[in-house]
Amino acid sequence: MAARRSKAKAPAKKAPRRAAKSSARRKANREFVSEAEEILDRMREDLVDLGDQRTNGIEVDPDLVNQIFRSAHSLKGLAGMFGLDGIGKLAHHMEDILDGLRLGRIAIESPAVDLLDSAVALFTALLVDIEDPALEEKHTRDIAELIRRIDSAVEEPAPAADELAGLALDPSLLRALTEYEEHRLRENIRRGRHLALVDSTFEIIAFEEGLSELSAAIREVGEVVSTLPSPGDAPESQIRFSLLVATDMAADQLSSHLDIAGASVREVRRASQAEAVESVESTSVSGRPRDQASRPSATEAAASPPSAAQAAGREAASVDSRSATARPETAELESLRSISDTVRVDIRKLDELMNLVGELVIHRNAIESIAARLSTDASAARLAAELTKTNKQLDRKLKELQAGVLDVRMVPLRQVFEKLSRVVRRLRRDQDKNVSMDFRGADTELDKLIVEQLVDPLMHVVRNAFDHAIESPADRRAAGKPEDATIFVQAFQRGNHVVIEVRDDGGGIDRAKVRAIAESQGLVSPDDELTERETLDLIFLPGLSTRGEISETSGRGVGMDVVRANLAALGGMVEVNSVVGRGTTVSMTLPITLAIIQALIVGVAEHRFAIPLNSVLETLLLEGHEIQRSEDREILNLRGDALTLRRLSEEFELSGTRNDGKQYAVVLGMGEQRVGLLVDDLHGQQDTVIKSINGPIREIAGIAGATELGDQGVVLVIDVSYIVGESTRRMEAA
Amino acid sequence: MSEAGSASENGDWESLARAASLRGADGEDQVDLLRELLSFRLDESPYAIPVERVREIVRVRKITSVPKMPSWVLGVVALRGEIVQVVDLRMRLGIPSKSTSRQSRIIVLHGDDDRITGMLVDAVDQVLRVNEDAFQNAEVSTESGAVNELCVREGEFVSIVDVDRVLELRAD
Repeated sequence: MAARRSKAKAPAKKAPRRAAKSSARRKANREFVSEAEEILDRMREDLVDLGDQRTNGIEVDPDLVNQIFRSAHSLKGLAGMFGLDGIGKLAHHMEDILDGLRLGRIAIESPAVDLLDSAVALFTALLVDIEDPALEEKHTRDIAELIRRIDSAVEEPAPAADELAGLALDPSLLRALTEYEEHRLRENIRRGRHLALVDSTFEIIAFEEGLSELSAAIREVGEVVSTLPSPGDAPESQIRFSLLVATDMAADQLSSHLDIAGASVREVRRASQAEAVESVESTSVSGRPRDQASRPSATEAAASPPSAAQAAGREAASVDSRSATARPETAELESLRSISDTVRVDIRKLDELMNLVGELVIHRNAIESIAARLSTDASAARLAAELTKTNKQLDRKLKELQAGVLDVRMVPLRQVFEKLSRVVRRLRRDQDKNVSMDFRGADTELDKLIVEQLVDPLMHVVRNAFDHAIESPADRRAAGKPEDATIFVQAFQRGNHVVIEVRDDGGGIDRAKVRAIAESQGLVSPDDELTERETLDLIFLPGLSTRGEISETSGRGVGMDVVRANLAALGGMVEVNSVVGRGTTVSMTLPITLAIIQALIVGVAEHRFAIPLNSVLETLLLEGHEIQRSEDREILNLRGDALTLRRLSEEFELSGTRNDGKQYAVVLGMGEQRVGLLVDDLHGQQDTVIKSINGPIREIAGIAGATELGDQGVVLVIDVSYIVGESTRRMEAA
Repeated sequence: MSEAGSASENGDWESLARAASLRGADGEDQVDLLRELLSFRLDESPYAIPVERVREIVRVRKITSVPKMPSWVLGVVALRGEIVQVVDLRMRLGIPSKSTSRQSRIIVLHGDDDRITGMLVDAVDQVLRVNEDAFQNAEVSTESGAVNELCVREGEFVSIVDVDRVLELRAD
């Protein structure tokens, strides 16, 4: 089976082998490329939008510029992490342009903006050739050249006429604005919008909620230029904010629109009038004394955490007499702050946590068995009862811990779907096929590790559909189908599994053709009689590539055999259904998490195996006479349905199985299939952490991995998809 | 030798390596032409593998057998949370298998792609530092093809085992 993850451990006391080193470098490069690609894709899309706004003369959306800035910033950080200085430097210069743009230092019409596209194009070229050391020098030159052009395009800003001077705002409030906020303020003044100050007081414990509610209400009709905590007479349990707002509404209109208790709205006049701020209709009675109107002084602003960055900016400004160039740091701080409320965690750290939890569970099980032994001793019975009770509490807490760690690992499939749709967009550009994607169930959650392992197989299946299944527009017309094909990707939960279906409305799989190829490669003999399903399942055989007939996009890379192996390694399975002329459906069934699963421990002779409980439908105790024969298989009448039985002892060639007639049947279900697995004994359920098996033999038929059980040592975990699949194949052959 | 022997008794790989480097520090060996080998025994015969392929040496523990594996794969063991296949080197080299003793050890080897494998041997000896010109081709190709070199050490032939060959998957 495929290694789920690899632990790079250097040989003790030995320098790492050179091969290992360069492969580590390659691995790092690959990691960088995959992450950087994602960022670049996003940037490219955003730049297209920016270009549209630019050519159409629409006001440039500040959020869009911010978003591109963040992408450039992430790219810079990423390059730094992987020690790729050139890329980091170039990203940094992109930031300069974007920073200038959002602060109004650079006009959207500036040629500097065109250089953003050039930079993205250069990044793309760099990623492609990242492995080639021969090109390193050329890259360095290209980067230096582009940076030079950026530097000369980003000229010094012309000193702006100060629209702010005539503004009836307290100078200390103006100084508290960040450069970006100041830019937005100027922009809004230029557009002739009304300015207003909205004051509101919130209970400290719930202020975030109240503040975001207020901000959202304001955004419906305008823009929040700045949110400043304001000092004043608020009681200790409360906190007061002043929001500087730009809208097309007059203050009284705004006030009635907001209609939020405790919020007061004051218009900020633009001409310098004797009355700096005029209090308009206010929905609250807590209007503040005018002389104090809502301006944080330097010390107060610095003392309140949310405005620390602003205070820092202000200090820089006072030293540098508010020249624009002194502020980029502030802007950077801002942007960092806005993206840092989630934490990226290495999945291996979560694995370690999960392993720890798993080990705790093993210890808990050991304690349980000690308690059980103690309880048989009359003199210790009372202590044993207490131990059992405490152990139960421990168990509950462990379960909560487990659920907590598991929850952190769960991610929605959305990202995978976005990746897929990007790939299809690219394919569509390269080939003359109109294919639209239809995604459903993007919120379905799966273990991050499974999602990671799923990307490649899923990508392959989708590419297969695109390349092999969807006919050319001409063929589709001829077949009376709409020219536009659809690939339908749907994820949903079924019991303890998640099913992902990829369905296309293409030509379907031609079984005769599959058979012919299999025969030509000697995988089946012309005399073999195969059912429809068996013929279809031939596509899962290694070596059966249909590359000859169709394009190279999915010909290279993995085949369906790898898709099946990958899914089996995850404890899942893949099924194909196809109707010629109508289309093909590939459904992949996966467990929701790999981390800790409940397993049923079964025994044959002295051997123990674990079966993931999420695939066990029920267990039955059978008397010998209940097992019937039908040709070469054994079946059971399960409430009127014939259930195929398989003996684990035969499956795994184990000797010493009990033959007294009494057997347990473990009814396994996966996808649509059912099978009863006969074993000698049931040894109860256990929480287990499934691990991949290290060693020269990578795939062990029928074994999905192994787990350590406290008292029983290593126990192999049965690959249910193998048992169920083998059985279906045999049944249909019969 | 006795020092190294006791170290291997504990499965303490670090002290083995330290002992080896101490011997090297004595001086007379020419550093640039030396190869470092871990020597071990099957029955009484000495074998050796390059030390850089060794991750650690552990005592024999409970081996869980795995169905439908080639006969030379004994099964799997747990190694600090990792599950590792164990290969019986005797069977791999065509020597009849025998039950493990107090001296038996599992040498944990580095394979491809960060994978590791356990290899069961009858006893671990010491780390040898052998001059390059003491090696010679094995000449005769054995059935397994896993011994491709010999070196002479204190008048005795030591068979050098090709680890990659041992770990190679064959259709038997």
